[in-house]
Amino acid sequence: MTDFNLVEWRFERRLDPRPAARIVALAVAAAAAALVCSLLFIAAGASPRAAFAALLQGSFGSLRAAGETLVKATPLIFTGLAACVAFRARIWNIGAEGQVFAGAMFAYWLQHNLTGFPPFVQIPVVIAGGIVGGALYAGLAGVLKTRFSVDEVISTVMLNYIIVYVLSLLLLRGPWSEAGGFFEQTPKVDPDSALPLLFSGSRLHFGFLLAIVTAGLVQMLLTRTPLGYEIKAAGSNIRALEVQGTNTRRLILVVLLVSGALAGLAGITEVYGVHYRLKAGAITGYGYSGIIVAILGQLHPVGVVVASVLFGALLNGATLMQIKTSVPSALIYAIQAILLLFFLAGWAACNFRLRRVARA
Amino acid sequence: MLDALFQAAVLTSVAAATIRISTPLLLASLGELVAERSGVYNMGLEGMMLMGAFTSYLAAYESGSLWLGVLAAGLTGALMALVFAVLVITLKIEQIVTGLAVNLLGAGLSTYWLRSAFAGDGKTPTIPFFADVPVPGLSNIPVLGPILFDQRMLTYIAFLMVPAVWLFLFRTRYGLIVRCAGDNPKALDVKGVRVAPVQYAAVVFGGLMAGLAGAFLSVGQAARFVPDMTNGRGWLAIIIVIAGLWRPYPILVAALVFSFLDALQLQIQGVGIAIPYQFMLMMPYVAAIVALMIRRSRASAPARLGVPYTRE
Repeated sequence: MTDFNLVEWRFERRLDPRPAARIVALAVAAAAAALVCSLLFIAAGASPRAAFAALLQGSFGSLRAAGETLVKATPLIFTGLAACVAFRARIWNIGAEGQVFAGAMFAYWLQHNLTGFPPFVQIPVVIAGGIVGGALYAGLAGVLKTRFSVDEVISTVMLNYIIVYVLSLLLLRGPWSEAGGFFEQTPKVDPDSALPLLFSGSRLHFGFLLAIVTAGLVQMLLTRTPLGYEIKAAGSNIRALEVQGTNTRRLILVVLLVSGALAGLAGITEVYGVHYRLKAGAITGYGYSGIIVAILGQLHPVGVVVASVLFGALLNGATLMQIKTSVPSALIYAIQAILLLFFLAGWAACNFRLRRVARA
Repeated sequence: MLDALFQAAVLTSVAAATIRISTPLLLASLGELVAERSGVYNMGLEGMMLMGAFTSYLAAYESGSLWLGVLAAGLTGALMALVFAVLVITLKIEQIVTGLAVNLLGAGLSTYWLRSAFAGDGKTPTIPFFADVPVPGLSNIPVLGPILFDQRMLTYIAFLMVPAVWLFLFRTRYGLIVRCAGDNPKALDVKGVRVAPVQYAAVVFGGLMAGLAGAFLSVGQAARFVPDMTNGRGWLAIIIVIAGLWRPYPILVAALVFSFLDALQLQIQGVGIAIPYQFMLMMPYVAAIVALMIRRSRASAPARLGVPYTRE
């Protein structure tokens, strides 16, 4: 007889999670998500193989499709970076969604008075408008947190709901509505305010370049500046930072302003790079997807860009998938969340190891 | 024009609507109260509610039974809460991020499922919804009768849950254990009661209640499912718990205040007063922020709320 009864398996917390284990976790999460996804395809009555093939063809099948994938990735890079900066400091800015709206609205407010000015006047105003609008709206949550101790998770979510109605107020028989128009949208913007296209034959626009450059800047901000150091320190222990003499209220406010400014840029790339008019449908959903992108990208700017391109591909390929296999494209949003859940679980599981211990 | 608002019949209908509208908020926030009292922040409430709204609609449509729909919603909410519990209690993943993932899952999955179950012209069929059940005798009381005793069954259940949850939390041994898990889990552990199963039970109960709250929105009220039909009610329920200082009766008051704002908006639209409807629709969210600005003290929150318990 063995001493079987005296031994049990127990989960223990690992003190030194290895980086390689995280990569494995990511791969396992992706495989598990693909499996669940296949089951959902089968449930919708489509062959998983055909659906995945259509997804791939729609996202990278041609130069045009690949360009469109990058167009879809552009706003996600901005909102992903927004979440990246805030979450690193453990400031839970869930409000990128509303800050995207604020950026687009503030830019439109400034720009629509400048119709007729040359592009070198209008385009910088649009970009500045996106930055300021997003920053102001996030700053509101910052003031609520630092002055009134309102939890930022809840205030940013509430602000997300509020701004949708504010935009609707301005667009539906409001000052910005299209004359004689039936839909809730502004008229087309002046072509001289639009972000220039990078190539002919593709909708890929200047916003994508701006997103890549911004990712580089955020990387520098996080690794080479005092603010980056403070963000890192706040993420591990904000009390300790306070004891060191850092004004943490100011830090929280600054982090939210930067995060909001990044999110605001996503609003202008959609309005001035893709749709050429302001409407809710053009800017909805990027804020929440950006949070997933940031976490899958391990809160690292390079990871954010990679995850954004992946998600851009999913969004873009979904259209062809729906046409070819009649699987509803709404599946993409479910897949994103499933991928995130598996990834979180995998990441957390890395912190544990199974060990044989003698029973007490 | 404002006179129209102050007629007795209008006031009665606003009051009755307030009671009706408070049903999902009350169900969800009482569930959240129990979960938070055990030390776990369930930020996935919105997603659980949304999936509950969808599955109850689907089950009721397929089976023809509204109560089967309600059952499906409760089970769905409980199942999602179980997944959430594994992630945050066992694996100790950040509760805010996990909650958010659950919300996104609820939004994505319900929309996808709706579109694949009702492919075609994009219209979803309506189903019959719960009728009002007048309480014999009591519903004939002037003014109060039609306001309080001519409501739907789920509304009566929601209101009865207020004293029931109070009794459970503050007058039973199990309630004491739940509260202890949120305030001082170590003491529980020392006494030989394992903390994790207590938190699992509390979180699953919260999910079940969120599912029922969702069921009220679809089969209890709208007779159909619309993507994102919860529209922030899950978040409002979380705010109601904070504004209600983690106690059942103040939570009832807070839920009624938010519902009153919503009921007022419906009435103002009905009477045709010239306030843009968007102003009225954003009122609950603005009120939520104001409520949190006033209720700044977290002294009444469970001491270890949101902190995963690890045995040393």
